[in-house]
Amino acid sequence: MEMASLLNYTTFLPLLGALILLMIPKTEEVLIKSWAFFVTLTTFLLSLPLFHNFDGSRSSIQFETIKSWIPSIGAGYHVGLDGISILLYLLTTFMMPLAVLSSWSAIQNRVKEYMLAMLVLETGMLGVFISLDLLLFYIFWETMLIPMYLLIGVWGGPRRIYAAIKFVLYTMVGSVLMLVAILYLYFLHYNFTGVYTFDLLQIYTIDIPFGLQLWLFLAFALAFAIKVPMFPFHTWLPDAHVEAPTAGSVILAGILLKMGTYGFLRFNLPLFPEASVHFAPLFLVLAVIGILYGAWISMVQRDIKKLVAYSSVSHLGFVMLGVFAFTVPSMQGGLIQMINHGLSTGALFLAVGMIYERRHTREIREFGGVTRVMPVFATLFLIVCLSSLGLPGTNGFVGEFLILVGSFQVVPAFAVLATVGIIFAAVYLLWMFRRVMFGPLTREENKNLVDLNGREVATLLPIIVFIFWIGFYPRTFLDKTEATISRLAGTMEKARAELHLEKQAPYWKYLVWKGNP
Amino acid sequence: MPIAIGTTDLISILPIAIVSLFGVYLLLQSVFAPRMNRILIPYLGILGVGLAVVGNFFLIGMEGTAFEGMVRVDRLTVVLNFLFLITAALSLLITISYHEGEHVEFLEFTPLVLFSTAGMMVMGSAESLMTIFLGLETMSIALYVMAGFRRTNRHSLEAALKYFLLGAFATGFLLYGMALTYGMVGSTNLTQIAQYFTQNALDVPLVALMGLALIIIGFGFKVALVPFHMWTPDVYQGSPLPVTAYMAVGAKAAGFAAILRVISLSAFSIAFQWSEILWVLAVLTMTVGNVVALVQDNIKRMLAYSSIAHAGYILVGVVASNDQTVPSVVFYLIVYLFMNLGAFAVATMVAGQNERRVNIQYYRGLGYTQPLLALAMAVFMFSLAGFPPTAGFIGKFYIFSAALQSGYVWLVILGVINSLISVYYYLNVVVAMYMQQPVDEKKIAPVLPGVGVVILVAVLGIVYLGIFPGTMLSVLR
Amino acid sequence: MLQLTLFYIFAVLAVLGGIMVVVHRNPIYSALSLILTLFALAGEYILLMAHFIAIVHIAVYAGAIMVLFLFVIMLLNIRIEERAPGALRYMVYIGVPMAAILFLQLGYLAFKGFQEVYVKNTDVGTVERIGQALFSKYVLPFEITSILLVVAMVGAVYLSKRKLEIVE
Repeated sequence: MEMASLLNYTTFLPLLGALILLMIPKTEEVLIKSWAFFVTLTTFLLSLPLFHNFDGSRSSIQFETIKSWIPSIGAGYHVGLDGISILLYLLTTFMMPLAVLSSWSAIQNRVKEYMLAMLVLETGMLGVFISLDLLLFYIFWETMLIPMYLLIGVWGGPRRIYAAIKFVLYTMVGSVLMLVAILYLYFLHYNFTGVYTFDLLQIYTIDIPFGLQLWLFLAFALAFAIKVPMFPFHTWLPDAHVEAPTAGSVILAGILLKMGTYGFLRFNLPLFPEASVHFAPLFLVLAVIGILYGAWISMVQRDIKKLVAYSSVSHLGFVMLGVFAFTVPSMQGGLIQMINHGLSTGALFLAVGMIYERRHTREIREFGGVTRVMPVFATLFLIVCLSSLGLPGTNGFVGEFLILVGSFQVVPAFAVLATVGIIFAAVYLLWMFRRVMFGPLTREENKNLVDLNGREVATLLPIIVFIFWIGFYPRTFLDKTEATISRLAGTMEKARAELHLEKQAPYWKYLVWKGNP
Repeated sequence: MPIAIGTTDLISILPIAIVSLFGVYLLLQSVFAPRMNRILIPYLGILGVGLAVVGNFFLIGMEGTAFEGMVRVDRLTVVLNFLFLITAALSLLITISYHEGEHVEFLEFTPLVLFSTAGMMVMGSAESLMTIFLGLETMSIALYVMAGFRRTNRHSLEAALKYFLLGAFATGFLLYGMALTYGMVGSTNLTQIAQYFTQNALDVPLVALMGLALIIIGFGFKVALVPFHMWTPDVYQGSPLPVTAYMAVGAKAAGFAAILRVISLSAFSIAFQWSEILWVLAVLTMTVGNVVALVQDNIKRMLAYSSIAHAGYILVGVVASNDQTVPSVVFYLIVYLFMNLGAFAVATMVAGQNERRVNIQYYRGLGYTQPLLALAMAVFMFSLAGFPPTAGFIGKFYIFSAALQSGYVWLVILGVINSLISVYYYLNVVVAMYMQQPVDEKKIAPVLPGVGVVILVAVLGIVYLGIFPGTMLSVLR
Repeated sequence: MLQLTLFYIFAVLAVLGGIMVVVHRNPIYSALSLILTLFALAGEYILLMAHFIAIVHIAVYAGAIMVLFLFVIMLLNIRIEERAPGALRYMVYIGVPMAAILFLQLGYLAFKGFQEVYVKNTDVGTVERIGQALFSKYVLPFEITSILLVVAMVGAVYLSKRKLEIVE
């Protein structure tokens, strides 16, 4: 089959699956779950040829489809993959079947609606990663909010409504301003070329004046920084994570947060290279604050899920550090770290979910000595923890190492500070592991815990395979991103040189609002 | 002077004529067939509207004025006619279902809907201040009466009286403004008014500007712009639900049709004079509507304030005053039709007998007791809040893009922030439906066919226009 | 000359009627005096060749509205004007100056334009001309007005129909 149409099929397959799911009666819960699993698994299997056929030595867009969609305003259905999106696309299709599996027994009520939301969500997320048209991207970006909002709000914990509303409002604060910026770019492109289009590749080609770049950069960056979440905008994350059901947390941490960092790589850097260079110090500082702050806060958490949630802030700080260092290894590391975080943190949330299902608590002090009753779980959980703290041989090491190497070349001080973050990560994860897993089996309830069943092992095992695969042989994945990242790094290098010229003039004068598109 | 009315003249008012004649026919119906079941009358009304829709197809492609410059037929006319007719048909369908819970005297109600629709169409196709005024009055007087249609309910009568008094007050402003404009221009013809403004664009006499300002106030009352919105919440709350739906969609669309004809098109060349005033009005309207809607717990009042806020969004398109104004405003009106009529249809179903269940608490748990109804309501709420992929998003997007094209960056930023605020109260309904337990176990009656059709049409319209707006947009441009 | 004579006669009658409206203490007399004024004004319209307006003036004001006035007065059974002492006293302070301003304005305009304004031999206000205009150029507004009146009638009939038990 032609790869371009395969890409379209895999993207919309979950939506089709959701439509068929509508016809299954509510009471057939096993059938509903099986169907959802089948659809997500098929999506994953169909996406494998995409990965296989993706030519990593080319930096251009592959498997491209360009169709006119709303011709009167110049919006098109333009999709495709490149080195930045291919891995994230695969990560999404890979995580979804696992998320469905993990909800098998955790979700007891309203199963049909739950699976519907999951399937719709998958199409939304895949759409975000393949869109190369600004309007299309925005539509997928926002559409995805609705099922996620419902996942948190309907199947979440006791404070779910608050968490769900907070999640939506926070995300929208950023994205509405991004919408204004998108429109602005649209008219800017028209003024430059006389063509109305939302096509990202065409908008890449215009040379936006530096003063405007600053504003547009900020508008886009706010949307993505909230999504990542970067340091001052992270407060929605713990609430959303703690209240969301396990699968919701897995998707949220595994995929949704990546959209923020993906957005920086896809939009901010190539569209506004000079502004990106200009603002890089700010983002580097915030990234490092995020790394350290996230780690510190994690250390004092009593709730395992909250701990994992704050560790995300720290991990994504690494990604941001890598992205804004603008070197090839750091950005590649950032990209691979996105995948790693998706896998490791996703697996951590899954593990937390498994233990929560048995004990209905996530308080660390409620546990202790769990290793004795759940040896399989303990082993898998340990591997996941080690991968999350970046032990050599696991995926976490590869990503963090690349980021640190890459950023050390340009901003050594930040790299050193970030290393401290890794040490903290080891501290909070291992400490938590010790308190939960080792020691005497003090609590009566914990003595009767049952070890993982086949389904649960099957949920974690694929992730562990990838943890080691990336840990020992990252080239399979790095090769795919090489060319795209090199080109992006080249763009940034050029921008750095140009900005040097621009900066001859006092830069504050660019921050004064000037004119209309 | 010979009386010369040609075929073109007659065709250009075909839908208006059909609807009016049907209204008169239905009034006489009871004289000729007093035994006829009253419940059939609204169906006859829908038939009349359907015939008018057919009649409207004859107008497609026509371009020009008729009746000696009293009405204009162009693409805008045709689209607006369709819009008003669909609104009327859907509102009648809602009324048929509403009748189950509360007695409606169709004998008077149906003709009033038809006449008022005729009035709206007159406004949409007006080419003279005189026709605009007459259309507006026909529409309004019918609406005043319809607002008071639950004659045994205190709130309904209060709504009717309030609407009537404030409406009459607004009419005074409008008429005074029209008189001043006529005094300066020497004609009520919109084309001649446009010529006058073009010729005097650099030095517009103060009196003409005052006339324009008074006209804006008059129309502002009708479409509920802040600070002329005071009547809206009480009237929306007191009126019977189908009337509220019809009023919210039809009267607003007609008001904006008139604003497009008089302000956007005729006074286009002096846009710099009025756009700043409308800028302020738009921001005020959006903000007040959205902020006050946050604290409403009655669905009718919430939708009333939301309708005020939406008037603000639409006004943003008017402020833009470029070639995108007309298509973006009309597109938004079409989208608004579907989402609002849909929401009111659901509200009618939930409200039940005597409209007792209009508080948002009655929506709790609706997602499980009535999954399809709740799903539809969720679609309407997401669309009103402007989430993609619903049509509400495309509508707002198009409006804001029109404003940005004219360089109103801050207006657009304030607009999107407002739309952010609105997310909270629209999602409140979704929260109630899906995330809370029902207050009482009383089951809501199954969805009646009339309302069912409306909801289906509305959902399909929203999804279709949300995902494939291309066709509609190219029609409008 | 005849015109001028008639003009003054009508003018005096109109003013007389107006004064009687204010002076009479019995509201019914006041209302009847107002009819006199209205008739006198209609006479002035005829002198101005505005036949149509004259007829409409009598039909609408003297015919319909005054009947309504009388109807209300008799229905409420008001014999002698009941003074609202507080309100009226303050209204004098606003009402008299306003009336004075209006009088001065009208007087100024009338004297200023006296030279130019005279009755031309025009037929623009005759019934024939207005009828022709209504059925040719303004036929559409005329028809819409008829719909408008039907709506008003239906509404009035509906709202005042029997069976009114107001519930809270």
